[in-house]
Amino acid sequence: MSFVVARRAMILAALSLAAFAPASTGLAHGPSRQKVTETIEIAAPAEKVWAIVGNFQDLSWLPPVAKTEGAGGNEPGKATRHITLKNGGEIDELLTKYDAADFSLAYRIEKVDVKVLPVNNYSSTMTVKPQGDKSVVEWKGAFYRGYPNNDPPPELSDEAALAAITGLYKSGLAALKEKVESGK
Amino acid sequence: MIARLASPWTASLQARRRGCEPEGSRSWRGSAARAAALALALCSPAAADEAFVTNQGSGDVTIVDLATMRPAATLAIGGKPAGVAVSADGARAYVTSPEGKYLTVIDARERRALRRIALEGGPLGLAVAPDGGRVYVADMYEGRLFAVDPEAGAVVATAQVGVTPSGVAVTPDGRLILVSIRDADRIAFVDAASFRKIGEIEVGRHPFGVTIDAAGARAYTANVESDDVSVIDIAARRVAATVKVGKRPYCVALAQGRGFVTDQYAEAVSVFDLTTLAPVGEVKVGEYPEGIGASRDGKTVYVANWFTNEFWSIAADSLTVTGKAKTGDGPRAFGAFIRAMN
Repeated sequence: MSFVVARRAMILAALSLAAFAPASTGLAHGPSRQKVTETIEIAAPAEKVWAIVGNFQDLSWLPPVAKTEGAGGNEPGKATRHITLKNGGEIDELLTKYDAADFSLAYRIEKVDVKVLPVNNYSSTMTVKPQGDKSVVEWKGAFYRGYPNNDPPPELSDEAALAAITGLYKSGLAALKEKVESGK
Repeated sequence: MIARLASPWTASLQARRRGCEPEGSRSWRGSAARAAALALALCSPAAADEAFVTNQGSGDVTIVDLATMRPAATLAIGGKPAGVAVSADGARAYVTSPEGKYLTVIDARERRALRRIALEGGPLGLAVAPDGGRVYVADMYEGRLFAVDPEAGAVVATAQVGVTPSGVAVTPDGRLILVSIRDADRIAFVDAASFRKIGEIEVGRHPFGVTIDAAGARAYTANVESDDVSVIDIAARRVAATVKVGKRPYCVALAQGRGFVTDQYAEAVSVFDLTTLAPVGEVKVGEYPEGIGASRDGKTVYVANWFTNEFWSIAADSLTVTGKAKTGDGPRAFGAFIRAMN
């Protein structure tokens, strides 16, 4: 019996450590992946929008971003970027696909603290679809919640992960639209 | 503890069922007329098979009629259902809910849930013993494999198998259970009779789906992080070969003497020859393909596209897409999801 108690205590200790330790890797995750798709229509041709979002090394159009530093240009599998957020958070990303003809790119997060973005195993695709002289930008993400085990704390739950990514996409796309349409 | 081996009858039924797959059908062509007649009877197109597709986002199962590729029914399951396994006789389907922490027993013919069996931890991958008497369920959080008596609704044995057990498969004779130990990059071998781990071997990085061939000779693991498939010689308990595939492979299906692998990040199914292990080709599918399975006659491979909420059929010889069905949100179909209508 005492063995069982000790073992449970140990597991609890391990779990609470996992909850508060920064996620140094995005590898461990739970069983339920989440997804978000957001779109926005922009009154500008796709080429014009792609000229902005098609540069993996410049994420300055995204409001929370303070600085983008990277290497490898737009070469999938090689291009990386280190993002510093205005709140001090840092994110490392890798470009995984790049299709200039279809105005589409995909990337994944290599490293992020769940306190900055409460997700694990995050991958994302951004596509600009021509619609005559307008365009529709689609931003999609797939990810697991920040807490890799069952019974997550509220700030690292599926709902928290979905809310964070949905908020990022909505605000990001709105800012992109504003930037393109205002011509700034 | 659960010394329930497959009876000669169920074993031969299983062999015949599997015999419709092309690996077997090579020997089928060259063998006695009796075997041919048996195989023909079992592969008759009159009985349309069904797929039980777990939809993790919408918390249900879409039953797809494979003859028409149309959804025939939707069953509410709850608890973020992910794993699925159908019994060899087609009577039962079992679904794991890792968040809800239970196993749902489904009467496949009547298309209704019979009972929920509460399980600890995070039940994910599962497999049904060939005789249907046990369901083996991996608990990915506490390193356990449960042997569940589905009729009694209880766990009858527990084996410690290693951290984050994920995919589960049973040999056709019912004697050996293989479990992918995802975060340890290993496959654990569990003896079904004693229900103890009797060995483990290292495979590629983050093995997820495990598939055993009809002969029970080889197993194939999809290694999510090393973008390859480990080909395991089951008797020798060693990796016989490693096959490079596309980005983030999830599961492997076998048909036409070929291996079909869902590459999540590549939006593709990569195909390799099971004999030469050389690449055969690639089929573009929907986004984040996950569960994959082959029809009994080996002519068709079915794949669940998690992001795009679709279930596609692919001709296993020509590698062309032949049909598409809508599913619920986030289809996983992780396991043996095809129900044979015998």
